[in-house]
Amino acid sequence: MVGQEQAMPSARFSAISGFWRNHGTALFFMLPALVVTLVLFLAPAIITLGLAFTDTATATGLSRWEWIGWANFEQLLRSSFTSIILRNTVFYVSTTLALNIALGLGLAILSVHVREGPGRFFRALWLLPRITPSVVYALMWVWASASPPFGIINQVLAPFGVEPRAWLSTDPWLIVIMINGFVGASFGMIVFTSAIQSIPEDLFRAARVDGASAWQIVRRITLPLLRWPILFVFVYQAMSLLASYEYILLTTDGGPGLYGTEVWSLWAFHTALNSYYGNLQFGLGAAMATVLVLIGIVVSASLLRLFHFGSLVSEPRVEIS
Amino acid sequence: MSARRSWMASAIPLSLIFAMSACSTTPSPAEEGSADPSGSAAAPAPEPSAVVETRTSETITEGDVVTLRAWTIGPDAPSFYRRDNLIDAAAALNEELEAEGSDQRVVVEASFESGGAWADYLQKVTLAAESGQAPDIVLAGHENMAPWASAGYLVTLDDLLAQYPDAFADVIPRLWDAMKLQGVTYAIPQDTEARPMYYRKDLLAELGWSEEDIESLPDRVRSGEWTMQDLVQTAQEAVEAGVVDEGKGWYHRPTKGHDHYMFYYANGGRMQDPESGKLVITRDALEKHFQLHYDAVNTWNITPKNFLGSDFRQWHETVTSGTVLFANAGTWTWAEWINTYEVPEEEQWENVGFTLIPAAEPGGEPTTLSHPLVYMVTEASENQELAFRLLAKATTPELNSRHSVESAHLAVLTSQIDDPTYAEDEFLAAASYMSEYTNFIPNHPDYGAYDEVIFRFLSAVQAGEMSPAEATEAAIQELQAQLGDELIVE
Repeated sequence: MVGQEQAMPSARFSAISGFWRNHGTALFFMLPALVVTLVLFLAPAIITLGLAFTDTATATGLSRWEWIGWANFEQLLRSSFTSIILRNTVFYVSTTLALNIALGLGLAILSVHVREGPGRFFRALWLLPRITPSVVYALMWVWASASPPFGIINQVLAPFGVEPRAWLSTDPWLIVIMINGFVGASFGMIVFTSAIQSIPEDLFRAARVDGASAWQIVRRITLPLLRWPILFVFVYQAMSLLASYEYILLTTDGGPGLYGTEVWSLWAFHTALNSYYGNLQFGLGAAMATVLVLIGIVVSASLLRLFHFGSLVSEPRVEIS
Repeated sequence: MSARRSWMASAIPLSLIFAMSACSTTPSPAEEGSADPSGSAAAPAPEPSAVVETRTSETITEGDVVTLRAWTIGPDAPSFYRRDNLIDAAAALNEELEAEGSDQRVVVEASFESGGAWADYLQKVTLAAESGQAPDIVLAGHENMAPWASAGYLVTLDDLLAQYPDAFADVIPRLWDAMKLQGVTYAIPQDTEARPMYYRKDLLAELGWSEEDIESLPDRVRSGEWTMQDLVQTAQEAVEAGVVDEGKGWYHRPTKGHDHYMFYYANGGRMQDPESGKLVITRDALEKHFQLHYDAVNTWNITPKNFLGSDFRQWHETVTSGTVLFANAGTWTWAEWINTYEVPEEEQWENVGFTLIPAAEPGGEPTTLSHPLVYMVTEASENQELAFRLLAKATTPELNSRHSVESAHLAVLTSQIDDPTYAEDEFLAAASYMSEYTNFIPNHPDYGAYDEVIFRFLSAVQAGEMSPAEATEAAIQELQAQLGDELIVE
């Protein structure tokens, strides 16, 4: 019995030292990434989740807050704004995503089928919004869509019989979706371009020899082989759009009217991090952020299932060497 | 303990930012481009970077030297006397301490922040207070005392006011209403303003008004003879006669802000119950308030469609072009039009008049609304009494008047009216009477949520998305859902 007790720590020690011998180097090299992940991703997520069940606000400080259970979530359920803002979020994400993908795909296909020089120049042009600071880019749109007699959009469209208007008030979604869509399209364009360029040229040549038209080549060769990049851009952009609000904040700030363009992430920002009257509602804002994270998980899981993610990343059945 | 709180104070906002914006940058909110720090802007503006300038009073080497730190903000640059008055008050306080035979002497280290975002400044104060690093004195809007006092960041001043009864005896009595939270005083007024109804004299003349009618308008409004109904009728006549374009009869504030509540107050609305301190919504007044804004756009065509949420800069450019008959804005706007929009002062006096917001209907009271900025003493201060006494020395007719004239703010002291510097300023002298008719927004931690609901439904009404009656019911239901027991519906 005594011998067993002495043997157990010794066995544990040798197991630990064995683990370090086998994995120590790997863990050492992973440490920086591990620390970043824990401190910047996991810890904020856990704190946010915890905050969602408190009444923490400026008015409570960090010494007078209380656990309030599900009260923040119940308030979200009671609020008449919740359904409006959820509807806005679904509309914003789906329409902007559709524009992102369609435009990105169109730009990629068109720009790789012209001569290389003009193609590159064209793609570089479309990258400008992405490399322009968000505030500058948004302000360009604000001024371009200013109300009459101002606004470049009004001046450009007037000769075509389009009545001058305050675009951000009359057609806020149009402007918001275009602002986000044009930035997002450049991301898809880069991914799709490199994917198209990696398709073996033999396939296109063979199709042309067989008399396929340009549309048939795109439909039968390019698009099927872009399924994986399209899925990636689709899911990545959907998650980005769910969490993005900066262009809406800088253009309409969620208006006009009754939360005309307020989306969930902007609502959470307004509640938790932006109060002109000084009482930031961290608890309620954290509950909103938690709901957003849950929506994100459900949406991404659904999309991966819809696109048969498993089969896309499975081992190829035929190995070509 | 302090280090832990400091870490947590940073961790909470950081956690929320990371959680909400994993894939996007998080710019700070845009602020309005005026000197008024009292409302958020729906219209975007480039995010300005704050300039923080710190000054220190004369160095003292003898005695028991105490350093008092203070943070102040414009954000308009001409309001730098909010800092300099504290600096200059140090000498007066030291003289008084010496006369008392005290060994203590004060050195004041005060900062003034201009050009930055109001919300960022508030956040800075909150984080400093949480981490035990708040300065002795903080300047902010009077409504900011509600969350800060609730969190325990501020010192109650009633005992000190009783101990030094002469220190602030000269303060205009009505201003003290805005200095209290549930009957307890937490703040000292630094400045105030009013929000008049501006009118174009030249356009009224074009409409057939005699010079006497035009010049007597402020008095007729003040007496309650000329009401909002007359304003609407005049604006309609101007549109029909082609004196102004459709939608340019009356411009109210184009963004979120306190100004809208003037019309709610004019209709008999209440915002806070003085007894319980709870927020109040007056159903009848809210519906009339919504109805006025609905009709202005959708029935009378005196205010443009899609107006709320439009750009403040364009608002000023249109108003200063002389094509809008009535426009309500702040007293500080008078100087802004001259300085920023380059309207010659003489021409402005010739063509623009200003009056109180007319009574809603015959028999009613004219009104306006003020948003005093205030000094507060923090709980973190180790020299709270000295900080309070410094505020007393910084609140004199001479010091307050130089601030009023420089920044176009109204007097907070009764004796300022007779101060030569103040009295020489023609506009301030002419507008000072408005303080007698003023109202304030409530001091309540949930005022932000209250204001958000009212503004969003006001926007919906004016956009024609809801009828005033529907919006009133929906707004009250939403307020009840969000505020619960903290709301009284009457």
